Amino acid sequence: MKAGLEVHQQLATGKLFCDCPSDLTEVVEGSFARRLRPASGENRAVDAATSFQAARGLLYRYEISNASCLVEMDEEPPHPLNPAALDVALTLALLLHARPVDEIEVMRKIVVDGSNTAGFQRTALVAVDGVLELGGKRYSIASICLEEDAARKVREADGEVTYRLDRLGIPLVEIATGPEIETGAEARAVAEEIGALVRATRRARRGIGTIREDVNVSAERGRRIEIKGVQELRKIAEYVDREVGRQEVLLHVADELRGRGASLDGTRVTDLTTVLGSVDTGPLARPARKGGPILGLRLPGFAGLLRAPPGSDERLGRELADQARSVGLRGLLHSDELPAYGVDAGHLEKVRVALGAGPNDAFVLVADGDSVRAHAALERVRVRATAAIEGVPGETRDPLPDGRTRFSRPLPGRERMYPETDIAPIPITPEHLARLASRLPESLSALRDRLARETGLARELIAQLVAAGESDTFEELVRRGHAPAIVARLIVQDLPNVPRPEGAEPPALPTRVLDELLRAQASGHFAKEGIPNVLAELARGAPDLSAAIERAGLSGFSAEDLERLIERVVAANEAIVRDRGDAAFSPLMGDVMREVRGRRDGQEVAAALRRAIALRRADPAP
Amino acid sequence: MSGADPDDPWSLLRSARAGQRLELKDDRGRTWTGTLVPRPDSADDGVVQLKLDSGYNVGVRVSPGSQLRFLPPESERTPTAPQGRARTAGGNGPWVSLLTTGGTIASRVDYETGGVRPVQDEGEILDFYPELQAEGPVRIVPVFDRLSEDIAPDDWVTLAARIVAEFTDGAQGVVVAHGTDTLAFTSAALSFLLQDLPGPVVLVGAQRSPDRPSSDGPSNLAAGVRVARSPLVGEVLVVMHAGLSDGRFAIHRGTRVRKMHSSRRDAFESRNGPPIGYVDADGVHWDREVRPAASGPPRLDGPIDRAGGLLYSFPGLPPESAEAFAKDLRGLVLAGTGLGHVSSVHLDWIRRAVAAGKVVAMTTQCLEGNVDPFVYATGRELQRAGVVYLGDLLPEVAYAKLLWALGHASDPRAVEALLLSDVAGEFEWRHRSGGDS
Repeated sequence: MKAGLEVHQQLATGKLFCDCPSDLTEVVEGSFARRLRPASGENRAVDAATSFQAARGLLYRYEISNASCLVEMDEEPPHPLNPAALDVALTLALLLHARPVDEIEVMRKIVVDGSNTAGFQRTALVAVDGVLELGGKRYSIASICLEEDAARKVREADGEVTYRLDRLGIPLVEIATGPEIETGAEARAVAEEIGALVRATRRARRGIGTIREDVNVSAERGRRIEIKGVQELRKIAEYVDREVGRQEVLLHVADELRGRGASLDGTRVTDLTTVLGSVDTGPLARPARKGGPILGLRLPGFAGLLRAPPGSDERLGRELADQARSVGLRGLLHSDELPAYGVDAGHLEKVRVALGAGPNDAFVLVADGDSVRAHAALERVRVRATAAIEGVPGETRDPLPDGRTRFSRPLPGRERMYPETDIAPIPITPEHLARLASRLPESLSALRDRLARETGLARELIAQLVAAGESDTFEELVRRGHAPAIVARLIVQDLPNVPRPEGAEPPALPTRVLDELLRAQASGHFAKEGIPNVLAELARGAPDLSAAIERAGLSGFSAEDLERLIERVVAANEAIVRDRGDAAFSPLMGDVMREVRGRRDGQEVAAALRRAIALRRADPAP
Repeated sequence: MSGADPDDPWSLLRSARAGQRLELKDDRGRTWTGTLVPRPDSADDGVVQLKLDSGYNVGVRVSPGSQLRFLPPESERTPTAPQGRARTAGGNGPWVSLLTTGGTIASRVDYETGGVRPVQDEGEILDFYPELQAEGPVRIVPVFDRLSEDIAPDDWVTLAARIVAEFTDGAQGVVVAHGTDTLAFTSAALSFLLQDLPGPVVLVGAQRSPDRPSSDGPSNLAAGVRVARSPLVGEVLVVMHAGLSDGRFAIHRGTRVRKMHSSRRDAFESRNGPPIGYVDADGVHWDREVRPAASGPPRLDGPIDRAGGLLYSFPGLPPESAEAFAKDLRGLVLAGTGLGHVSSVHLDWIRRAVAAGKVVAMTTQCLEGNVDPFVYATGRELQRAGVVYLGDLLPEVAYAKLLWALGHASDPRAVEALLLSDVAGEFEWRHRSGGDS
């Protein structure tokens, strides 16, 4: 297996080709609707991905936000490329020992899924030939590009897709590695390191969705598969490993098909509407197909190869069904999963006769209210089944939440790129590079070494801090006099674990508030154990720290209150204290902590309790 | 490639054509492999542009130490020659003639170099826009090849003559594809030059170039062709996007329309009143009275005289500069301020110009509303000096009309009378408002 990564990180520099902020918003001010056509349809060489998307003929609606202007609406030419974003990309080139190009040419990459109002994404190659060293291994950095992010899809219904323009035009720096990654775990580590490197420039946007990975995977003998838009780093390893598993199954199927001499030559789509007219439940029943036809396609030599092999969940049948879905069908039925879905053995026999299918042949069935669409689906199935004899076709796949991926479109080719004539070429001068080189951020390895040396914390913890991109906050809080261990725990453990709605970002609390929080804790307003509760209240919207402490129920328990409580507990357990001496500590500690957890520090409680027990024992019995 | 010095990279490059595959080793030892791309507005700065195999273009600095080697073309990437077939397409029956005036009506990407190439061949245009023939045949007629800003008054007459010829030949309607910068000048001029039209003349343009999938050109063109098929309509119209969305198009009278934005799709607006109709998915809707089609043959009502000018007034405009501008002209349209004013320092030369037989006419920079000489003293003095006030005529329309009027009369009073007469629905007599809400 060989894998390469493309890491896309949004930048907080303002948009790439206009003067809008790079912020997302829930404020929608209006909308408009457009259609796209492949402007550059050179009939015989039209890019596969482009024609595939354009064939779907959808209407696109765009929501205008207060973070968009006429440029995002494709109503005004692009402004010159954002120099701050360019500096970030060049800085990363220098950090990765890459070679900046002599002159940047902004390109248009045709994307007619509606996610770009212009019908293309602007992108520019900034540097090549870099290298990343990690864990004793060298990964080549094939390219560093600067491109504009696409509009974000809000909803899709009835042939209309709605996008919001706020994300369109946010700069993305794209860092692509060579195909040198060998395991899923390695892929995740490389992605994290690159992400941390971009954050080290201090111009990265933060939060969910601001970093996205494309993973290119080729199993041995397999073709390149691009898994596009993985948002959760921790899932990368799973996607890679499952993709390898998928390719292994499909390669095995290909071997078997070739051994059987399978071929789709001479097969044709057959109308089975009358043959299966008596099916009255399931997807083929008349109401489910809205009166449309039932169509079948024979797959000669495919019998038994559409289902998953033992011990695997991957199967060719699903790949074929994905093709049907890609033109808008709900799916298809194949012979390896029948009889079922309202189709019984009697039906199957009639279908086999109608299709001329022998015992070695499989077949697929589709039904849809739209006859043209149903035919288009089977044409795609035919193309995909033919490719299955060869092996694994190269394609772009979407990551699914369960770790699987699904076909989205053919791999785009270089044919869809042409120059953005609205932007003049940008020369990169040695003086410009020298200026950036003189103020490079500290390299990640140097940063990790220094923090370990200065704080004495475990290297693992330091690595987590750096990977989270929070070393600045950490250093600031330590500089303000807080203990490194407490600050580190606050950042890598307490903050990420603050309870929040599914999918929401961890709270972004200002360093000033974190400082106050640690200060209040240190001066005894509440215990270390109470920190998560106070953070939760702050995240839930407490107006200030004292309100958060109050709402967490941690306020108003002073050292004197503690003394009084211990006095009471010891007095109530006088007999145990006198009988068991120091062994009385544990049960009494439990009683006290039940009352004060989070409000007073555990060590303080323990010390006070030991003192009280000793005093009581020293006292003469009454 | 003969004559090139193999050791001099620049000599080799000069001998190479765009589309040549090559390998360039730069002075830092990095080898770039790609296709030579024509560099737009190339400065002589030692940089060549290559399209890499990834599809990206980059600029590579060539120095004396660079090494260059030509590579054979990739066999499967031979360029596909356009298969142009000049024709009228879309079957038999009444046709619409589509006149092209230059600029880019359609574009294709050249996959060898990644450059964009305009489609000008008639057959190729029809291949590109199959939807134009949805309701009947279309005939493509190239008239000239000019950018909008290069279209001159003489071209208006050439275009008008060609339109008359198309109607005489039997066209149901005529569509003119025109660059947007000066489209409204041309639509106004054609409105005066073309009389007794048996069908609509529709000008269309594009605010987004056709080299992008989002171009408004194709849908404007399709809407224009639909309008051109309207029977019973005999005037010059402009059809462009009505708003930001695709799917609704405004029909403007050729003399009432103005480009009001440098880049938006809905840049064209009727001034001083609503558009006369719209096109949407349901068809063509007429909201206002249109000039009916004539039953007789169309007439080119020329000639024009180019000895007219348009001068935008501004605070500080030196009277001697204005007088010098008017020196060789027979007539001048002033775009004045407000109700139609220029500074009183101009009164002297205006009196001299009028005395010398020149026509001086007044319009307003406000674009909306009438000019009126009676409200302020300066207006009264300008009128007494001989300035003729042109109601709510747009300055550009007044200029086009002036050239037409100068071509039709030699006596200044007769020119003024033509300027003030309603020739093509160019005056909006009632100005209405819907209130504040």
